[in-house]
Amino acid sequence: MKPSSTATGTIIGLTLVFLIGPFIVIILAALTAGNNLAFPPDGLSLKWFIKVFTVESFRISFLISMFLAVFGTLTALIVGVPAAYAIARYDIPGAGAIQLAVSSPLIVPGIIVGLALLRYLVIPTGFTIMAALFLAHAALILPYAVRVVTSSLQNLRVDVEEAALILGCSRLGSFFRVVFPNIRGGILAAFILGFVTSFNQVPVSLFLSGPGVRTLPIDMLAYMETTYDPSVAALACLLAIMSVGIVFLAERFLGFSRYV
Amino acid sequence: MFENKNTGLLLVLPAAVFASVLFLLPVGILLSEAFTGSEGGFSLGAYVEFFSSELNNTVFWRSLRLGLWVMLTSAVIGYAAAFSIVQLSPKSRGRVFALIILPLMISPVARTYAWLVILGRTGLVNQVIVGLGLSEEGLQLLFTETAVFIGLLQLFLPLMIIALISSMENMPRDVVPAARVLGANWFSVFFRVILPLTREGLVVGGTLVFAGSMTAYITPAILGGSKVLMLETLLYQRVTVANDYAAASVIAMILVVMSIVTNLLLKRLAKPRNRRA
Repeated sequence: MKPSSTATGTIIGLTLVFLIGPFIVIILAALTAGNNLAFPPDGLSLKWFIKVFTVESFRISFLISMFLAVFGTLTALIVGVPAAYAIARYDIPGAGAIQLAVSSPLIVPGIIVGLALLRYLVIPTGFTIMAALFLAHAALILPYAVRVVTSSLQNLRVDVEEAALILGCSRLGSFFRVVFPNIRGGILAAFILGFVTSFNQVPVSLFLSGPGVRTLPIDMLAYMETTYDPSVAALACLLAIMSVGIVFLAERFLGFSRYV
Repeated sequence: MFENKNTGLLLVLPAAVFASVLFLLPVGILLSEAFTGSEGGFSLGAYVEFFSSELNNTVFWRSLRLGLWVMLTSAVIGYAAAFSIVQLSPKSRGRVFALIILPLMISPVARTYAWLVILGRTGLVNQVIVGLGLSEEGLQLLFTETAVFIGLLQLFLPLMIIALISSMENMPRDVVPAARVLGANWFSVFFRVILPLTREGLVVGGTLVFAGSMTAYITPAILGGSKVLMLETLLYQRVTVANDYAAASVIAMILVVMSIVTNLLLKRLAKPRNRRA
């Protein structure tokens, strides 16, 4: 005796309408030819999508967000991959405390981190906002990088490394010539996860913004406070398409969901 | 497993120092301010003052209430959805699952912005209401608790569904049909079979949804504005408008304590099955 498939179908359908429906509404609203944010749209055109690219603050904040996401993630990987290797391969003293420190960015709410960095790093030491943002984003991505790379190292047998060492390879050589090629997929997955996380991040960057320095999501929040036109809807669509595209490609070529 | 402990320590140290200096240290100083009086020394004055303000009290209880409501509602919808999804064939199950997690990859700003179009004064919902003649000029839906509730529910429902699906997949396949054959109605099937067997998933999903809602910033900022403040929007407002760092550090303390409790709870419960949490 199974529940009727009409009932389960309806439930799934309604849930998906609630979860996905708003995106369809926003895509159509962004395609309007009129000047107001409305649904159904007032004729169809791409003018708001084109307008997005002419708003200078969006262009600047997009580049800032891109910079933070790419270099923040790279930094997190440079610091995180050795840590992941140590966690997976060595019996480290005080491992619990170290893991807790590394994963702390996941536990502390971002808005507090942003405020704390502003008050105790930027203001007293004269650190630039940009540098603080960069460090905060890198630290925020660190736990993701460590976790994904650790699990991909744990799936790699230690024998291959031992074989390389016995055959006379150095420690460092065996890492770059044996381990690294085998965990490349995991590192790429960590990069994508870190990139998306950093790019969409709001709370950490909230207090860390100054004249001319704003991440894209913060800039969008500021823009919608003053202007109620469809350009934010168009930008939201473009961002959604970008994230979904990245994740789709990653899944297609990498089997992304195996890693996260 | 390699022998040399010092090499291991050396490799992990940069990451630990990086996270501690950038996260734990500044946040620690900030939190300690919540216990420092105006002339230095230990004091709980900031708390007394925080909770003596009516606005702060309202915001505190509102955040708690909304968190609980979002958690309960997502549990109800989540059970219905997860149970339906598990009945599907593996192939369509994968497709539906992909659609459920899709929103998680998209910028929360974009996700929340869509509700402005739907709930605004001339939005979709109001067009229907006016069209049906239920109201003359439409209802005020934005900047209400309901709007924030809907936004949070859409944001966090996927987490609940994922948690419930994974614990339902671990449920023995024939328990529900068996209970039905033995004459149980759907009500007792749920409370006596499904609920006890998926308790773990419910707790994992519930804590994620509750903590996520309590500490949300974007949704209350866009859909609640200054009319419906929640803890994080209140914190932002206290700092930027009033320079009130005492209140900010009290809110920070509330948020941190809650996050730590949530994480401890999740660690204890989720270890055996859920690698992610």
